[in-house]
Amino acid sequence: MTDADLDIVYTTLCHTMTQAGEANGPLFLARFALLAIERMGDRDGALRLIGEAAEAFRTVG
Amino acid sequence: MEFKPYPFEAKHYDARLPALENGADAQRHAVTIVGGGPVGLSVALGLARHGIPSVLIEADSSVCHGSRAICISRRSLEIIERLGALDGFLRTGLPWSGGRSYYRDAEVLHFTMPHDDNQKLPPMVNLAQYHIEQFLLDAAERHAELIDIRWQTRVAGIEHRADGATLHLTSPAGDYALHTGWVVASDGGRSTLRDALGLKLQGTSYEGRYVIVDILLRSDRPTERLAYFDPPCNPGSTVLVHKQPDDVWRIDYQLRDGEDGEAAVRPENVMPRVQALLDMMGERGPWSPVWITLYKANALTLDRYRHGRVLFAGDAAHLVPIFGVRGANSGIDDADNLAWKLAFVVRGVASEGLLDTYSDERVFATHENLAYGTKSTEFMAPPSFAFDLMRTAVLGLAGTHPAVRSLINPRQTSAITYAESPLNGAGADGFDAGPVPGAVLPDCPVEIVTGGAPRAGHLTDLTGPRFTVLAFSEDGSVPAGLAALEEAFARREVALRVAGIGRSSGRGALDRTGRLFPMYGARPRTVYLVRPDGHVAARWHGPAPAEVAAAIDRILQA
Repeated sequence: MTDADLDIVYTTLCHTMTQAGEANGPLFLARFALLAIERMGDRDGALRLIGEAAEAFRTVG
Repeated sequence: MEFKPYPFEAKHYDARLPALENGADAQRHAVTIVGGGPVGLSVALGLARHGIPSVLIEADSSVCHGSRAICISRRSLEIIERLGALDGFLRTGLPWSGGRSYYRDAEVLHFTMPHDDNQKLPPMVNLAQYHIEQFLLDAAERHAELIDIRWQTRVAGIEHRADGATLHLTSPAGDYALHTGWVVASDGGRSTLRDALGLKLQGTSYEGRYVIVDILLRSDRPTERLAYFDPPCNPGSTVLVHKQPDDVWRIDYQLRDGEDGEAAVRPENVMPRVQALLDMMGERGPWSPVWITLYKANALTLDRYRHGRVLFAGDAAHLVPIFGVRGANSGIDDADNLAWKLAFVVRGVASEGLLDTYSDERVFATHENLAYGTKSTEFMAPPSFAFDLMRTAVLGLAGTHPAVRSLINPRQTSAITYAESPLNGAGADGFDAGPVPGAVLPDCPVEIVTGGAPRAGHLTDLTGPRFTVLAFSEDGSVPAGLAALEEAFARREVALRVAGIGRSSGRGALDRTGRLFPMYGARPRTVYLVRPDGHVAARWHGPAPAEVAAAIDRILQA
C-alpha cells in the first residue's frame, strides 16, 4: 500500500465515520476492527496489534 | 506589551491621471490588470517579457501590509526568475527544505521536501508578502515603458463587450473611464470584478479557526516548518511556527470549538499563549508582537476563469486553504500560464481559444490544489469528530509506527501537471522516463556551450519567452530540418529556439554529468517541445520537423 493509498483509506474511513454519527463512532470502529481481524486471518498478529493499540492507555509504574 | 512595526518601510505612491479625452483615458489599452498584488504584478511582468504593455490598477498607495503569503515554492521561484525578479527573493528569503511535527512533547515526523543537487533553486523560501510584492514591483519599475501602474485607483464599474471593456475608475486625483481590449482580474479574495460580473465562488468553507500572530524575536533556530499538535503549552490546540527574514516569526494556532473569535485576537489573550509557546520551545529572548489576525480555511473556486474579455487569476478566481502554502504560489502559476497566452492573442499570432485553455488548465490545477489543500486542512483543522479522533490515533502511533507518518506530512505545494490539457501532443510516445506532456520541465545541470565560453548552467536556462525545442543528439548538432523551424516560425512572428543537447560533445548544451539523458528518457534524435511557461507540450523519438511544427500550430490554433 502506497502513501497515497493509505491516504485514500484514511480519508474514506473518516468521512464514513462522520456520516455514521458521533454516537455510533465506537461501534463503527468495532465493526471495522472485526472485519479487519477476519481479513488478516492471523491470530498472533491480531493479538499483537491489540496490545500495540492499547499501549497509549497503559499506566506507567 | 508594546506592538512594534514590521522591519520594512513601504514607499507610498500618489494617484495620477493619464491624459484624458471626454473623461476617458485618451489611449485605448490592450490589457488592463486590476489588482497589484503578487499575481497582478506577475502578469504585468510576464506580458512585458513578451513586449506587451499593460496598465496596472492598484487600490492602495503601496505594497501590502500585514501577514499574508509567507512561503514561495521552487516552482514559483522558477517563474520569478524568468520575470527578472529572482535576486531579491534569494537575497532576502530564508530557504528551507523540511520540517518537524510534534505530538505533545515527542517528535513524530521529520519530513523533507524533494531536493537534490540537480536543483538550481531551493524547495521553498520564506519571506513576507510585502517583500514578495516589493521585489516584483522593483522589476516592474525597470519596465516602466511597458508597465503603467495607477496607484490609489479603484474600479467603480465595468461595461463588458465582445471586443473589450470599459472600466470606470476612481482615484483621489479624479475619476475617468478606461477602454481596454482585455481585463485581468487579480483583485483578490473579495474581488470587485467578480461581484460586478455577478460571479460567485463555489465550494467548502471550514469551521476551524486559526489565530495568526507575527512577532519579532531574535533566534538562531534553523528555518523549517514546525507543527505542534496538542502541545503542553496550549493543550488541545495545533500550533504552526515559521521563521521569516529580519527576525519576524509567524505563529498560527488553532482555536478550540466554541472559543469566541473576537476575544481570541485581543492582545491580552494572545500574548500568554505566545509566551507559553516560546517557553516550551526554549526561546528565552525578548519578543514583541507585530500583527494579529483570524483565519478560516476556504476551498472555493469559480468554475471558469475566462469570462469573455475578463480573465480571473489568483484569489479572485479561487481560495485555497493556507495549509500547504498554495495561495500565492497557485496565483503565481496562474499568472505564468496566462501571460504568454494573452500576449500571443494580443499580438494576433494565436486564436482566442488559447485563453480558454488558460481556464481549462488552471481550473484543473485548482481542483488538484483543493484536493491536497483539503487533505491538509482535514488534518490541521479536523472538520468532524471522526477526523479529530483518527488524527489523535495517528499522532499517538506515529512515534513507534513509521508507516502512518505520511498522514502527518503537510503535503506542501508542488508543480501541477496539466495531464488532460488540450494543448498536449498525442500520447503513446514510447518514453520510459522524463516529463510527460503537460508536466513542468524538471531541472538538471548541463554545460551551456552557446554564446562564448562553456559555462555551468541548468536545463531551464535554455528556455525563454518563446517555444523551445530541445533536440537531443550524440554531438549536440541539430538536424537542418529542425533548425529551419526557427526561421519558419519567425516569419509568423512566433519566437522559437531549437537548442541542441549533446551526450558526448555539445554545440548548444552538453550533458556533462550524464544525468540528463536518462532523466528525460532521451536518446539521440529525441525531441521535447517546451511551452513559454516551461511546461512540456509534446515529445517524440525522432520526429519529422513537420510533426513538431504541427504541435506548435495546434497550440496557436487552440
